[in-house]
Amino acid sequence: MKLIYSELKKFLPDLTKEPQTLRDDLTMIGHFTNFYEKIDDEIVFDLDIKVNRPDALGYYGLARDLSVYYHLPLSLPRSIVINSSAPKLPIIIDSADVYRIQAIKVTNIKNLASPQWLQKVLKLHGINAINALVDLTNYIMLFWGIPNHAFDTAKTSDQLSWKNSDKSTKFTTLDGTNLNLANHELVITNQTEPLSLSFIGGQNSGINLNTTDSILEMATYNPVRVRHDWRQLKIVTEAGIRLEKELDSNLIPVAFNHLITLVSDITKATIASPLFDYYPTPNAPLAIKFNPAIASKISGVDINTNFAFDTLNRLGCTVSTTTVTPPSIRHDLTMEEDLAEEVIRFWGYQKIPTNQPLVTKNYPNITPKILFLIETLKDKLISLGYDEVLTWPLVMYPKDDNAIQTQNSINADHPYLRQSIIQSLKIQVDQYDRLKLFNTQLFEIGKIFSMSENKYIEQYALGMYHYDQSKLTTDIQSLNLKANFIGNFAEIILDDAPKPDSYTPKNQSNTAIELTSQMQILDANITLNQEQDPKKLIEDYSQKIGDKLLWNMQIIDIYHDQKENKYRYTFRVTYYNTDDKTAKKIHLQTFDLLKK
Amino acid sequence: MNNLKIIEQEWLTKIDKIVTANKLEEVRIELLGRHGLLNDLFTKMKDLPSDQKKQYGQELNELKNVFENAINQKTLTSTQTITGKASIQLPNAFQLPKLGHLHPITVTEQKLNNLFRDLGFSIYASPEIDTDEYNFERLNVPQNHPARDMQDTIYIQEPDYLLRTQTSTIEAHLLDECKDKLPIRAAFPGSVYRNEKVNRSNHFIFHQYQAVVVDKNITMKDLIGTMDLMFKTLYGPDVVVRYRCKYYPEVEPGVGPDMQCFHCHGAGCPLCKYAGWIEMGGSGMIHPKVLQKAGIDPKVWSGFAFGMGLDRWTMAQTNIKDIRTLMGGNLAYKPNKL
Repeated sequence: MKLIYSELKKFLPDLTKEPQTLRDDLTMIGHFTNFYEKIDDEIVFDLDIKVNRPDALGYYGLARDLSVYYHLPLSLPRSIVINSSAPKLPIIIDSADVYRIQAIKVTNIKNLASPQWLQKVLKLHGINAINALVDLTNYIMLFWGIPNHAFDTAKTSDQLSWKNSDKSTKFTTLDGTNLNLANHELVITNQTEPLSLSFIGGQNSGINLNTTDSILEMATYNPVRVRHDWRQLKIVTEAGIRLEKELDSNLIPVAFNHLITLVSDITKATIASPLFDYYPTPNAPLAIKFNPAIASKISGVDINTNFAFDTLNRLGCTVSTTTVTPPSIRHDLTMEEDLAEEVIRFWGYQKIPTNQPLVTKNYPNITPKILFLIETLKDKLISLGYDEVLTWPLVMYPKDDNAIQTQNSINADHPYLRQSIIQSLKIQVDQYDRLKLFNTQLFEIGKIFSMSENKYIEQYALGMYHYDQSKLTTDIQSLNLKANFIGNFAEIILDDAPKPDSYTPKNQSNTAIELTSQMQILDANITLNQEQDPKKLIEDYSQKIGDKLLWNMQIIDIYHDQKENKYRYTFRVTYYNTDDKTAKKIHLQTFDLLKK
Repeated sequence: MNNLKIIEQEWLTKIDKIVTANKLEEVRIELLGRHGLLNDLFTKMKDLPSDQKKQYGQELNELKNVFENAINQKTLTSTQTITGKASIQLPNAFQLPKLGHLHPITVTEQKLNNLFRDLGFSIYASPEIDTDEYNFERLNVPQNHPARDMQDTIYIQEPDYLLRTQTSTIEAHLLDECKDKLPIRAAFPGSVYRNEKVNRSNHFIFHQYQAVVVDKNITMKDLIGTMDLMFKTLYGPDVVVRYRCKYYPEVEPGVGPDMQCFHCHGAGCPLCKYAGWIEMGGSGMIHPKVLQKAGIDPKVWSGFAFGMGLDRWTMAQTNIKDIRTLMGGNLAYKPNKL
């Protein structure tokens, strides 16, 4: 979510913090702020809002937190008195999914383009300016966090009705998407056709520059219903993101009044109905038993009682000596631990010491023995020259009818869980072949999956590959394991293998490299007058090539020409992550082959 | 059917005539490799009428077995030919003894396992196919909770069976198993799954590490101190980590550790998305409801949990740019130095 500094100051006129300080402080109190930037002379912050804080999806909620943190007064916008003797709106509510609705009719609207400041605010939020009335509904949603809507009554009539769709109905959204409604979606109708869903308006009631009369409404709904509807219809909107969470019905009067005030000011509209207010089951305040000592008990540091009570008080809670009643905007505060978190976050996580870890204690060891076996085997396998790989547990094809298939994987070409490690290990060997990485020895320890008697079965399996089949057999014998061999591959089910009672860890180094091209393998002969230590020769020539290109160097042949008494050494050099031309150039230089 | 028989005969004849291991390997890839003939044939299955698919699939599986057996029976060591000519490794050649390597994810896991073992933690594990109850309900994420959107789930049998989306699922099993054996300290590496399209930056499988403590009088000070020790073990004593308020449904209060960006040292750069900090995972005090759901009395016991992803960190450590490299990709190990 974007946050414009100057808009925030409408709630907090005394706020003078530097943008960087504000960014860091917002983050520390729970509103992670990635960065801020200056756009069109405005400072704009980029925030991630927590799923459990729908109040922070509007400037008001964030301003409330900052007013507590910085001890600043919160300023609310001007409101107007609504006093109309016109007939009541004939609105019908026929759905238990409606929590609260306020609505009003306005007439004589002069719906022009929005003033520059409003267009700019919307643009910085990534919303296109359309016309003053539509723009104001969007602005109020951003400002207060509660979506709202305007209907053109010339198109709809005043007889709006909120209900759940009970028969198959077609509906076209404002952006032209055609939908079929048939799944109890919450709709707003004019008795004959749907005009809007809870989270997106319809084309047939849209506001345009010719609109003169409109019904404005602001509502809160059953969030589960909204969530179900947008997921079912696969339409994500800013309104849906807010309404799928528990919004504060008690905030509607002040937020809706702000909308009416701005509409009156900017479009010169006239109020043409009394305020419609449907709120059958007002939110019941929740008194939570609270002992201020809990903040210290949870944090592990001393937080004094006065600070705890003062913080909760400034957050808008009703505080007594034994209970705390959170404000209705904070639906997320339902238990004592929630209140403790509020106290601790305003006290400051950064004040909790970082240098006092748990001290070592001897607890009963509940490590499953198979994990000892796995770690022991890994150590043994690398000492036998095997490299560990991790491969995909999802595979393209089943081995037999007992394979387990995923239902909704978007990687649809790999729908099955592997029934054998070898299934996926083969793919790794193929990949190494393509990279011309030969003479490989690989292993993987991972899960294999199958169905048996309608149960999902998981087993740990060790898969091995050796370029030399006979060596593979010898290695498995040395591990005292029984394997299933398929060519140069072997698989061992570890659940059935004998397991050790403990494991002594060894420190391992890491030489993993990401290969970006095929290996370049080149040979070179050098002839010397005296016999040399091959290890020293490899050391010297390796140093000439350097680590960045050299993968491996071997001497694959040593020939003594007795007649001439000369020694010929044949090197095989493997270069990596380079092209053949570069490899050849380096190779010729290294072994002085250019002269020859 | 006839076509498959012709293919079978044609390729069995080819395999029979092969005399070198390299050629045999080429043929194996051509037939059974990811882009091989068999996979092409399997791909065509989708174009068949549905009543023919099953039989065609069975015939293809049989053909695959025939080819695998034929190749396996002929498998040769790659340094020899069928005629028994001398290998490249002549008696006079020189080669260093080969040592294998652990996968860099395993190296990180072992480093963490060792740290936590020293602090008295057990290492724990649980199934990768799990239930909605252990993956969500027991972690304080009921049906229809928006927090479910934080994790795109791969289902085996919707809505009950799924591939676990987080190592907190292992925590739910741990709490269940140990509710009568408290106090407990356990750590667990684990593979977790998300319904993500595989590309350079995303994968459907990744690796997390989690540690859990349940005891009397456990506090956020214990949590933050222990996490800090872990980060210093992984990144060295000079690492700068901040701990901030963060939301996870299974903890209360929640704590988010961020490491100061090692690339820009807090100034902001593309790597840290100009935040100056890199999110390192999530943690917090175990939510009283999570303890209650496991049958543990939160008035008596408290605990903490923290988890972190290992893939991004491992990529940064090993200079890997493409996440696919970690799993069955282009990851390889440099042979031992002299």
